[in-house]
Amino acid sequence: MNPAPHDMIDGYFDEILTPEQLASLSDWIKSSPENARVFANAALLHDRMRNAMGESALVHDVPPSKVAVRSLGRLFSFPSVWSTAASIAVVCFGVGLFWFLFGQANASAAIRELNRIIAQNTLSKDRTYEIVVEEVYPPIERGANRPPTRESLRPPKPPLDGARVHVREGNQFVLIRKTSDGLPFVTGSNGKQSWAANARGPVKVSADIHHFDRDLPGHETSIPLTNLHEGLGRLRQAYQVQFSTLGPEEYEASDGETVRMLVAVKKPKERGPQRVEIAYETTSGRILHMRFVQMPYGPDRLDLRLSLVNENDLPLDFFQHTSHHSLDRNVETEN
Amino acid sequence: MDQNSQQAIRYWTLAQPVVSAYVTSVIRDFRDRDDVLQSIAVAILESFPSYDASRPFVGWALGVARNQVGSYLRDRRRNRLVFDGETVDLLATAFEEIKTEEVRSLDYLQECLGKLEGRARQLCELRYQNDLKPAAMASLLSMTPNTVAKSLQRIREQLRQCVERHLSIEGARS
Repeated sequence: MNPAPHDMIDGYFDEILTPEQLASLSDWIKSSPENARVFANAALLHDRMRNAMGESALVHDVPPSKVAVRSLGRLFSFPSVWSTAASIAVVCFGVGLFWFLFGQANASAAIRELNRIIAQNTLSKDRTYEIVVEEVYPPIERGANRPPTRESLRPPKPPLDGARVHVREGNQFVLIRKTSDGLPFVTGSNGKQSWAANARGPVKVSADIHHFDRDLPGHETSIPLTNLHEGLGRLRQAYQVQFSTLGPEEYEASDGETVRMLVAVKKPKERGPQRVEIAYETTSGRILHMRFVQMPYGPDRLDLRLSLVNENDLPLDFFQHTSHHSLDRNVETEN
Repeated sequence: MDQNSQQAIRYWTLAQPVVSAYVTSVIRDFRDRDDVLQSIAVAILESFPSYDASRPFVGWALGVARNQVGSYLRDRRRNRLVFDGETVDLLATAFEEIKTEEVRSLDYLQECLGKLEGRARQLCELRYQNDLKPAAMASLLSMTPNTVAKSLQRIREQLRQCVERHLSIEGARS
């Protein structure tokens, strides 16, 4: 049995109707002009609420097309030579103003979108991303007489290319890499303690949840790959966030969902990757890919791509170290 | 700016609430709605010279909107969660019949929204500022999606009553 028409109208605007309920609502609208008017009135309220609360920037939210610029040209047209010159100046001012307003609105719309994605991805299920290293940049040359840093004296880190990172709310993650001889090297945190399980030697555990962060790209610049909420939150402060203007801004994924891209470019004097690209599903806000360009990683800088490969709730104890090694292994505590 | 364009902008400003609601009634994704509304505004400016001033502007603007909405829906015809063409056309007619007073009555909405407090305000912010759906809001607020949807429905009803109260007070004064 379908809900009452008024319930279906509200359900429609909140996007919770099933296809059958939507068909039923559609039939109800078609059955009488009065019903269509009731629906239209409900839409009027819903739309006004969005405009009042969402600070909708209707005229400036979309890239200015050639059509729009042509329209501006026509709005400011005059007949004589002098007035043509004047009109060119006015058009230039108009176009400049349009671009300025568009730039402001696009940036604020992008920040609103980023906020939505952060909210969506904070509450979501456990997610698994595959990491691909696209480019490794040589370390920046240091002066010959400068002493080696603590970082440069550490043993080489296991390669990140092909690694998988599983993330859950509350600083929980498991990063699975393979050492150069093909053995697993697993680092993680259950949100209360962090740990590292190498195939050889004891399992190391620390009460400091950031103790093993040094193995993770982005930890130095507060954009950790293992805590998307924190990482995306930093983009708001240290980056200029815009909708992508390179290539197709929106495309349709294989399942019919549309995908959009946000691009964050690092502000001067801030630390972190030069650029972060986030491709996400328009409706759900689910992040499908993230690309970090020139991400600091110890002495190196990397171009990294994270691609969503799974979105399922993992076992409750998955983020405990005991799920990733045999129980007879020695466990050592580090401070 | 020439007189023709000034006129177009003046008409558009008056028609925009109804056209915006029409677009929202068919395109529920707020960002997509904003995009389509922008293309409607541009199309109206472009084709304003062909507008017959002896006919109501809202009806003409809704016709332009119908074309833009149709183009948007054609790209998404595989989506089963959008209205069919007949319903979209019927809605355009229904919006054309909305009276100016009904649109103006919602000018009180801002004041009524200002009175929302606590959980009601939080729900409205998550829904209308962050574009979250009830399922996502439920996880954030430790509620069930059904409770969230019911609460939103109740809030809208309260806001409608609040607007009506303002109208009746205004009616009594005049």
